[in-house]
Amino acid sequence: MDLENAKILIGDDSILARKQLKDCIAALGGSNFIEAANGQEAIDKYKSEQPDIVFLDIVMPIKDGIVATQEIHDLNPKACIIMVSSVGTIQQLKAAIEAGAKDFVQKPFSGDQVAAVLDAHLGGN
Amino acid sequence: MYTQFFGNYLLEKGILTTSQLTDALTEQSKVHIKLGTLAIHAGYMTAGEVDSVVVLQTHQDKKFGELAIEEGYLTEEQVQDLLDSQTPDYLLLGQVLIEQGILTNTQLENLLIEYQSENEIYDLDLSNFQKKKFDEMVSQICEFSDSVQEERLVEYLQLFVNNLIRFIGNDFTLLNPIPCNEYPSVYGVAQTVYGSFELQSLLDTNETTAIEFASRYANESFSDFDEYVKAALEDFLNLHNGLFNVNMSNEYSLELMLTPPEAHINEVIGYDAPHYILPIIYPFGTLNFVFAIS
Repeated sequence: MDLENAKILIGDDSILARKQLKDCIAALGGSNFIEAANGQEAIDKYKSEQPDIVFLDIVMPIKDGIVATQEIHDLNPKACIIMVSSVGTIQQLKAAIEAGAKDFVQKPFSGDQVAAVLDAHLGGN
Repeated sequence: MYTQFFGNYLLEKGILTTSQLTDALTEQSKVHIKLGTLAIHAGYMTAGEVDSVVVLQTHQDKKFGELAIEEGYLTEEQVQDLLDSQTPDYLLLGQVLIEQGILTNTQLENLLIEYQSENEIYDLDLSNFQKKKFDEMVSQICEFSDSVQEERLVEYLQLFVNNLIRFIGNDFTLLNPIPCNEYPSVYGVAQTVYGSFELQSLLDTNETTAIEFASRYANESFSDFDEYVKAALEDFLNLHNGLFNVNMSNEYSLELMLTPPEAHINEVIGYDAPHYILPIIYPFGTLNFVFAIS
């Protein structure tokens, strides 16, 4: 799938972090964004919008990113979920992958890292 | 790279007031280091010799280096050596203070000697120097029964300073931490690190300072105290604590988690266990970092 046609869900409680990721993906050609400010909202938006790729922060109020990943994965085991977090500890990485995350981006991220992740998960499909 | 501590040292000695320091820090970003200041620091020239070359410069249209060579104070090799050397930031602070008439060359010379010998600066290894300063700071303020806990706090503060340098800028000075049982917040964001041990953190400042802080953090120019500015404070704290967790996990296999950041606006926060306030003075304003480990 092309990035320009992809529907992208960004779940992060920080409006600034959402903007930074959005700006970064927009610079690479993405334009169809949906935002969520906590884990529950991300699950709800996933259900209603059926995005092609999901970026989720880990530390979020109401439901954290790991729980949200698990629930989205339960809804659709093929869901493409990328964790984006400053808390890239071994245990968190393990928990994210077990919950169904396909990749992990450590904050602060660079444009190249985001491009590589998009390429790996959207490219060629 | 020791501006943060040299400024603190000058305040401690009563040589500067906080506002003089803030002015000098603002100025520091606009000026370049002078050869004379470097020559004093390297021990190639005395303050008296530098002063006499500066006087000569008022009569002759020549560079400092040329005159110093003519007068026999420096060799050509020494001038080249100074031009090639890496400038420690605190020297720039010293130079600004001279230009503002707060210090003379002689006073700076003496202060540098005292500062370097008291702190045993023999090389420019920042991480060792920082660690030593924080070891001192933490052992002065906190009484720990547990030395491991003390070590963790030192690492936490070291990382905090490195993150300020990395994400905001190195033109700040730290004041000595102050113990407190309650803290009146202006606009504060709080986050708890929990798991193998617990750390409380709060970053607090006023709206104007927050706008500048956020602009530097996000590399954008914010002009209003809006949602983005508030989010930048939270993001910086979250990033700092997240990176600390990663370090603890990688180095000691300690697993820690974070609570979502929480805002505390104009409220008095009471603490059961003693907390410490670490004031951070940037040219654009002061932030307080309130922390405790348990």
